[in-house]
Amino acid sequence: MAEAVSPTTSEKSKAPRIGVYICHCGTNIAGSVDISAVEEYARTLPNVAHVDNYQYMCSTPGQGKIEESIKEKGLTGVVVAACSPRLHEPTFRTATKEGGLNPFRFEMANIREQNSWVHMHDREGATEKAKDAIRIAVAKASLLEDLYPKSVPVEHAAMVVGAGVAGMQAALDLANAGIKTYLIEKAPTIGGRMSQLDKTFPTLDCSQCILTPKMVDVGRNENIELMVNSEVEEVEGYIGNFDVTIRRKASGVLSPKEAEARGIVGGGCTGCGDCVPVCPVTKPNPFEMGMAPRKAIYIYHPQVVPLLYTIDWDSCVKCGLCVEACGEKKAIDLEMQDELVKVKVGTVILATGYELFPIENKEEWGYKRYENVITSLEFERLICASGPTGGHLVRPSDGTTPMRIAFVLCAGSRDNTGIGKPYCSRFCCMYSLKHAHQIIEKIPGAVPYLFYMDIRSFGKAYEEFYYRIQDEGAKFIRGRVSNIQEDPKTKNLYVYAEDTLLGRPMELEVDMVVLAAAVQPTDLTNKTRKLFGVSCSQDGWLLEAHPKLNPCGTTTAGVYLAGACQGPKDIPDAVAQAEGAASAASIPIHKGEVELEPYYAMCIEEKCAGCGMCVNLCPYSALSLVEKDGRTVMQVTEAKCKGCGTCGGFCPGGAIWMNHFATPQILAQIDAFLIGGEQ
Amino acid sequence: MVTKNYPDPKLNEKLRDRYYRRDQSKPEFTKAVREISGTMAHMCYQCGTCTGGCPSAPRSTYRIREFMRRGVLGLDQEALTDPDLWLCTTCYSCTDRCPRDLAPTDVIMAMRNLAFRQDIIPVNFLKTVQAIYSSGHGVPNNDVNRAAREKLGLTRDPPTTHMYPEYIKGIQKILDHYNLKANADRIVKEREG
Amino acid sequence: MTTERKYAFFLGCIAPNRYPGSESASIRTSKKLGIDLVPLEGASCCPAPGAFGSIDLNVWYAMAARNIVLAEQMGLDIALICNGCYKSIYEVNHKLKHNKELRDAVNEVLKEIDMEFKGTIDVWHLAELLYDPEIVGVEKIRASVKVPLKGTKIAVHYGCHLMKPKKERHMGSTEAPHWIEELVEALGAEAVEYRNKMQCCGAGGGVRGYDLAHSLDITNEKLQNIVEAGADAVTEVCPFCQLQFDRGQIEIEEKFGIRYNMPVFHYNELLGLAQGMSPEELGLDLHAINTEPFLKKVL
Repeated sequence: MAEAVSPTTSEKSKAPRIGVYICHCGTNIAGSVDISAVEEYARTLPNVAHVDNYQYMCSTPGQGKIEESIKEKGLTGVVVAACSPRLHEPTFRTATKEGGLNPFRFEMANIREQNSWVHMHDREGATEKAKDAIRIAVAKASLLEDLYPKSVPVEHAAMVVGAGVAGMQAALDLANAGIKTYLIEKAPTIGGRMSQLDKTFPTLDCSQCILTPKMVDVGRNENIELMVNSEVEEVEGYIGNFDVTIRRKASGVLSPKEAEARGIVGGGCTGCGDCVPVCPVTKPNPFEMGMAPRKAIYIYHPQVVPLLYTIDWDSCVKCGLCVEACGEKKAIDLEMQDELVKVKVGTVILATGYELFPIENKEEWGYKRYENVITSLEFERLICASGPTGGHLVRPSDGTTPMRIAFVLCAGSRDNTGIGKPYCSRFCCMYSLKHAHQIIEKIPGAVPYLFYMDIRSFGKAYEEFYYRIQDEGAKFIRGRVSNIQEDPKTKNLYVYAEDTLLGRPMELEVDMVVLAAAVQPTDLTNKTRKLFGVSCSQDGWLLEAHPKLNPCGTTTAGVYLAGACQGPKDIPDAVAQAEGAASAASIPIHKGEVELEPYYAMCIEEKCAGCGMCVNLCPYSALSLVEKDGRTVMQVTEAKCKGCGTCGGFCPGGAIWMNHFATPQILAQIDAFLIGGEQ
Repeated sequence: MVTKNYPDPKLNEKLRDRYYRRDQSKPEFTKAVREISGTMAHMCYQCGTCTGGCPSAPRSTYRIREFMRRGVLGLDQEALTDPDLWLCTTCYSCTDRCPRDLAPTDVIMAMRNLAFRQDIIPVNFLKTVQAIYSSGHGVPNNDVNRAAREKLGLTRDPPTTHMYPEYIKGIQKILDHYNLKANADRIVKEREG
Repeated sequence: MTTERKYAFFLGCIAPNRYPGSESASIRTSKKLGIDLVPLEGASCCPAPGAFGSIDLNVWYAMAARNIVLAEQMGLDIALICNGCYKSIYEVNHKLKHNKELRDAVNEVLKEIDMEFKGTIDVWHLAELLYDPEIVGVEKIRASVKVPLKGTKIAVHYGCHLMKPKKERHMGSTEAPHWIEELVEALGAEAVEYRNKMQCCGAGGGVRGYDLAHSLDITNEKLQNIVEAGADAVTEVCPFCQLQFDRGQIEIEEKFGIRYNMPVFHYNELLGLAQGMSPEELGLDLHAINTEPFLKKVL
């Protein structure tokens, strides 16, 4: 096995001379690792020509040490024992390059995150482990080779998946920066959750009033190609060249443009709504959380963008009355089929948003069991002037106006039972304060009771908002609601909690309960993220590249995150992240080309039997079989290969060479670990 | 605690030092509660869900949340000498609803176990022990019931230790292994003479 | 009748020694439904989880283990009819099966009486066997009814230790369960919902012995809610709850001056009635609260 030879270097240039640099990282490493003992040990390792240590290797003088000694000692490889390569590998590669070596002749030994930080109280053990890590890194560095990154051109177009406020903002920014942007939305209209909200905290702007201008902008922007009723079906390619297949679901209704394409002059949907009264089918409108009816041909609300009707095929009986009513516009096609559209984009932003978790699973609060227990989103629709009740908050059981309303905060958030969500949903405190304000404002004499554990009013002008609502008369009870019982006759609700500040249990009879339900990623998030190769955290939120320093990026180059799909976010945070993601996503496009890490697989053609097993195994479709000199051999599309090693590990003939993670390099590391310095 | 030693004992009690100071906390109490209860008792965040649904809370000063807090802070004497410790009906509503996934009911049971080690225990608990030691049953048979059983076509004594008293020896061995009967007899005698 | 299932019948204390009709009803009604309840000879108190658990959990484990081993020696699963017994026998069996350290400690004690917990059997509440369609099921119960309890309204009291803590059981919702209502309706009666149905009867945890008035005050609250719902009777699956509701009403009258006359039945007594057993065969005359007004409605 070990005799596999790199296809690029048929002979070793010269005997390896490795420099080893040990970082103290202040006391982060030196506090639990005996640096001088490690240094002494490193000097005894084969191929080591130089050893040094420094307080902070990442500092300018630290990097200078590397650059100088490469030249002075004629080094062929560099090992820095310090932190995680996720942090400073680029720094030390640059230093290696500055010293005159190929930057890929650098290897990092992590003696901080994987050592000093976890073995803080075991100095001896940590020191021995650091020796092991350096010995292994030296073994690999001795076999490292020159590698040259390849550049690929970047398609001058971007895609945003999800057209809530974050997706819309990202799309507008990209489009205004001169980039053709495809905005993909699964619903029949853009706007997302924000369009369902009545007012926004802490400024109390009307949500629709501030959102609809943006929706109009999106609809009119020449650089934005809007695709509603659409889902991402398939993704191929890599940064700069994503080939994305979009499923445009049959809406049953033609836009004027689509009508024209079919030769129907002056036809297509104008949003006149003549089809609606004739439709015999009535269903609950999901935009109104099911509290208002809609027909089988419908729009969510009057301000939808694009203003096109949509047919719900699950309920349409295809009676054809709407087709008749539409008349000469001929906008309705009851036989319309889904369409698959392929687009090529350079970068992608995911903005797939959130939804409420099924709060009925927390049975103690009786949602779906007690009529007058509603969710916060239902409250938004009921208090909204354009909602199903014209903005009159009423009890679902009898249509009367509730005067005593309890708000259950942390309803399923901060919950470790496995039923709710362990995290804080972040914006429930604030919208519940806003709900309290709306009740006080709209219903004279009504009293909101907020059951809370902590009021988390951390944003700009949020604490002031809390002050204001308390002053307006909202009652705050520091206690989480234990359970709710319904009076079967009056349908009033008895809320049980402890006022933990008084130390007294309380039984509060109220007319309505609003559950500030925990949020979770939307149902399609998981499918979509898998298509783009994006990871998620344990609770399903999409994983950013770095929680602090790269919150918009992902570990997949060219794919970025905006809004609540990355974690619960209020509107300002969602919009800010969207602008960040748009900026990040525009950089490769404006540069016009991207450098790919040269960690791709290579085929050693003499050894390849052309069996093709690797082709099927490759998760990135980067491999294919080709005819060469009368033989079938495997070929790698380097730009598609992520260097995962699946093929290299499997190949029965040892015919696949993984650049930078080659079999001899890995074996040398294992040997160094198991049998010490000898190879 | 600051001892004031004022000559008037009434004043002494009235002005008793109320400060919480660190030396009142016994970390070993927190640890013992965690171990005996088998729940991560130290993770309580004091939301009050437990007390809010507790059937005993609205009719007494019993606050299970306060016992959780005493567990977190290691306030052993405050927890163990509080007579409310014995008002938990072990209905487990708090355990089912605790958002931190703790079992406050089992914390109470752990504290009761720790109280017993200091001879703090209501006598009714010990009388059950005594009854089981002599008959195998906490609620033993009686003559009225024997007659009723006979009428129903059942054996006068049920086919338990009542009908097979030879099994009682084994029960006594188990209880004696823990010295439980002797302790029960001693404490009951101390209380009731 | 297809294959008969055999279980070691664990009696506990209150059923055989205070409500023997419940014991004989369980045996006779089960027989008709294909369940053979075999006496578990030499069994003792489970032991009472409130009393023993409060004193020393280790004693509780060892004492319960002794009862379980008796059934292991018969090679039979245990069936029982009391929620308190269920907590002791089911939970200790489960804990000892899954916690080797605990099992070893308990076996160290059992060795003194030549016993060993092996973990070879399971423990069931008869009510769950009755509800399980693989074993009996609502349909089979309905088919066994000779005297439907038509025109009666019955409030179900689930009790606590049968279903809670939820995570250590397997019976679904502990906030709004409905399965015992289904068992009741299979007898032809109407099951009524009432406020705070899942609240405790007030007897457990040693509270009945420690502070009777406190314990009865909880029972009183439940009875008020049950009366409010228009129930003719209460049914439960736990003789300790039965005692608390039945004799408790006498004590409530003595202490609080409130009289309910609300008949209280173990579910197996209702099942016996519906299968045609006479009130005498069920020992209903032993109840503290007169069951006549209820019986008049059905017989």
